[in-house]
Amino acid sequence: MNNPNGLKNPIARQSGLVVQEMPDEVLVYDMDTNKAHCLNQSAAFIWKSCDGSKSVMDIVQQFESNGRGKVTEDFVWLAIDQLNENGLLENKIAPRFLGQTRRQVLKTIGLASMVALPVIASLVAPKSAFGVSSCVCNNPAQCATAPNAGCPSTTNCNQLGLCAPNTPSQNKGKVG
Amino acid sequence: MGETQTAAKTVITDDTRWYLLQEKAMEVRALRAFSLLREAGIEPILIKGLAAARFYPEPGSRASIDMDLAVSADDYEKALEIARSAAANGLAIDLHRELRHLDTVEWSDLFANSQLLELEGGTIRFLRLEDHLRVLCVHWLTDGGSFKERLWDIYYAIQNRPPDFDWARFLDPVSDTRRRWMICTVGLAYHFLDLNLDDTPIKDEAKDLPAWVIKTVEKEWASETRFRPLETVTHDPIMLLKQIPRRLRPNPIWATVQMEGSFDAKTRVFYQIGSFFQRILPSYKRLSQAITVRPK
Repeated sequence: MNNPNGLKNPIARQSGLVVQEMPDEVLVYDMDTNKAHCLNQSAAFIWKSCDGSKSVMDIVQQFESNGRGKVTEDFVWLAIDQLNENGLLENKIAPRFLGQTRRQVLKTIGLASMVALPVIASLVAPKSAFGVSSCVCNNPAQCATAPNAGCPSTTNCNQLGLCAPNTPSQNKGKVG
Repeated sequence: MGETQTAAKTVITDDTRWYLLQEKAMEVRALRAFSLLREAGIEPILIKGLAAARFYPEPGSRASIDMDLAVSADDYEKALEIARSAAANGLAIDLHRELRHLDTVEWSDLFANSQLLELEGGTIRFLRLEDHLRVLCVHWLTDGGSFKERLWDIYYAIQNRPPDFDWARFLDPVSDTRRRWMICTVGLAYHFLDLNLDDTPIKDEAKDLPAWVIKTVEKEWASETRFRPLETVTHDPIMLLKQIPRRLRPNPIWATVQMEGSFDAKTRVFYQIGSFFQRILPSYKRLSQAITVRPK
């Protein structure tokens, strides 16, 4: 659908995405590109509002009527530009801030806004994800110098250099 | 926000976020795989991966990169065709013809005891926990005990088992030799990870571990070179060279399990010799095939 200015209204992409709602953010995994994103509350709200029927102005109004604070159209555009860049929109939208650096844009909008700016952060795969292992230590020396180095538990590496609590014998100093 | 609330707020790291998404993505892929196979009238059972992850205390804490699906021997060829089809692209299905060496219980029995679990958007079939725990134990042993992080699969499966966990179903349907393997693997989770076995019927037996098993595991975990199939390292001559001694003197746990041997036998040597000869021809074939088909 087009808005009165002849521009297409943004539509949030649905297919090929895995979405995980968190208390303060929304995590999105793109199964086509294997990229993961973290949307803060402002970005997530705007993303969910992009249903194709709402113009940017409509989204601004919805944002404000939801009690999230007063924002400008540029504020919503900042989110839309990022959603666009990260492939999270169904339809391609021409960038609003063409020719301006992100820093310039943030400065302009940030000064006028009392609300947390919409941010979409890319998540990088942890090193251990490549090794199918959830612990990066391969030998005791590594484990000893890098406690909690990706151990798949809440415990630390033990004296043997294993991702495990010390066994009673280790606690007594009898390793092994 | 009050102070108490702020303090109680959980800190989520990027790694946690990543693994949470990976686990959810794996669920989506699993549902897709089940749906594809069901369309062809095949009902698979998911083993390892998500099946192990569901007993971990926190979602996303058990990473896996592929999806192990077991199907009946009758359905295997058809399922393989589907797993290799374009429709299954990106699903990373590792297809198993029943459970082969991983368990000796009849497939029909395993299937009759399996469970359908509801996930967001569909259902997935898992083995019942007692059966799956045997699979996890044997799988861990067939890797020579080298994957320390996978011992947590066994730890959490037991620690978070339901109250009606049936120890007899876990241990009795297999031979005494295999029964001892299971108990020793659980015992290793006790030994290395402090698994609490006090309220289990195997608490004494599991603590009676053969010294060579503990030694082998410690050696594996301290080693910088993990066992890897030869065909996967043909591009890396140094790694290939490092892998060869591991074949010449096979890991004692791996050799014993491969030869269906006893953990309490006096020596490992005969199992290691048997394992060496049993593997040499298939290894050679896989290696030469990998070298022949390797892209230039």
